[in-house]
Amino acid sequence: MSRLNRVGELDDATAAGRARDGDLDAYEVLVARWTAPAHRFAVLLGAGVDADDVVQEAFVKAYRQLGRYRGESGFRPWLFSTVANETRNLHRSRKRRDGLALRAAAREEAEPLSPDPADLTLAVERRRQLVDQVRLLDFREREVLVCRYFLDLSEAETAEALDIPKGTVKSRTSRALARLRDRLGEVAGA
Amino acid sequence: MPEDDALIAELRALEPWLDTGEPADRRAAVRARLVARPARIRHRKRWIAAAVAALAGAVIAVSPARAAVVDAVDGVLRIVGIEVRAGGPGELPPRPDPLPSRGPVTLAQARAAAQFPVVVPAALGVPDRVELADPDAGGAPRVVTMTFRGGAVRFDQFDGSVSPAFLKSSGEARWTEVGGSTAIWLPGPHAVTYVDRAGQERTATGRLAAPTLIWSTGTVTYRLEGIATLAGATAVAGDLK
Repeated sequence: MSRLNRVGELDDATAAGRARDGDLDAYEVLVARWTAPAHRFAVLLGAGVDADDVVQEAFVKAYRQLGRYRGESGFRPWLFSTVANETRNLHRSRKRRDGLALRAAAREEAEPLSPDPADLTLAVERRRQLVDQVRLLDFREREVLVCRYFLDLSEAETAEALDIPKGTVKSRTSRALARLRDRLGEVAGA
Repeated sequence: MPEDDALIAELRALEPWLDTGEPADRRAAVRARLVARPARIRHRKRWIAAAVAALAGAVIAVSPARAAVVDAVDGVLRIVGIEVRAGGPGELPPRPDPLPSRGPVTLAQARAAAQFPVVVPAALGVPDRVELADPDAGGAPRVVTMTFRGGAVRFDQFDGSVSPAFLKSSGEARWTEVGGSTAIWLPGPHAVTYVDRAGQERTATGRLAAPTLIWSTGTVTYRLEGIATLAGATAVAGDLK
């Protein structure tokens, strides 16, 4: 995807402005720039193998709604809100969510500064537990954790991306963390 | 809460381990959808109209005598060795059929092997990689390909006396000039098909080409891909060493 990440020198606001006036080349700059992050977001939300379709649909819809784009908070949360919406639609239509996958390397790769093999095993095991428990969360709770901690969005950006009030981001996040912690405790204690 | 902080730290540390796979390049598909039903009716005048049903079926070999002919009437732009046909970028074939490359060589080896002068755009510096493709019986390559900037920029030069070599299908193309010679600028993504010596068509890469400038000195034809603006590409093309 290096090519996708490199094309275009227009900044997002300029590109979006031109695209709004019908300049498809300018829009393509945005598509190229944001395909990879949007795809990662969709997969983290559980879109699985349909993530590419979700991203494509999101870009098409985002373009048609450019008239409403004001650009205050950037193109990313704005695009991501469309991606989140499309992923929710996907869940509704297929009643299935794809989980998260750990890189295969996670199971073999030695971690630096891990003197004891038991520590390493624990780290790998812990990652597996975390992934398992995140995927078992309710979709709405998983969404906020994905935005806040996997994608490092601020509360405001998360609110815009998920189209929920900021207070809801806050409460849902702490509820999700509490649930995750409980379940991890059960797993560890089992 | 402190226990929240610890868990948050773990989640952040987990992020690099999450495998989300490689995204597909959907630029062409998105564009096709937008062209089919634009958000606003503001059609720029385009020289193309017809959509190409299937790339491989749509390209037509042009006799060498006609290859240099500028002909926008039938929706085809030609420059020695390259033919650009009207139409959308089209779907990529399921199995890309790469250019018949012989693998990487040094610049000196390329210059020794090719029967045309092998040049380097001065502005791009030293190529990351040089490849020879489609050799004749004596081993002389028909195409020399260089990549720069970590593969983001690609520069092909080839013996233009055998035409056509590249067929392109593009929704948008326009005439321009490089050093006083006619050139073609393709600002958007497009599919590229390479026609080898035997006349076999190969959809040269499993991707859509980035913005591309095409020009020719008459016997050697050049294509420069990956410079985002026409001004930038023309500047690079203007200084070949």
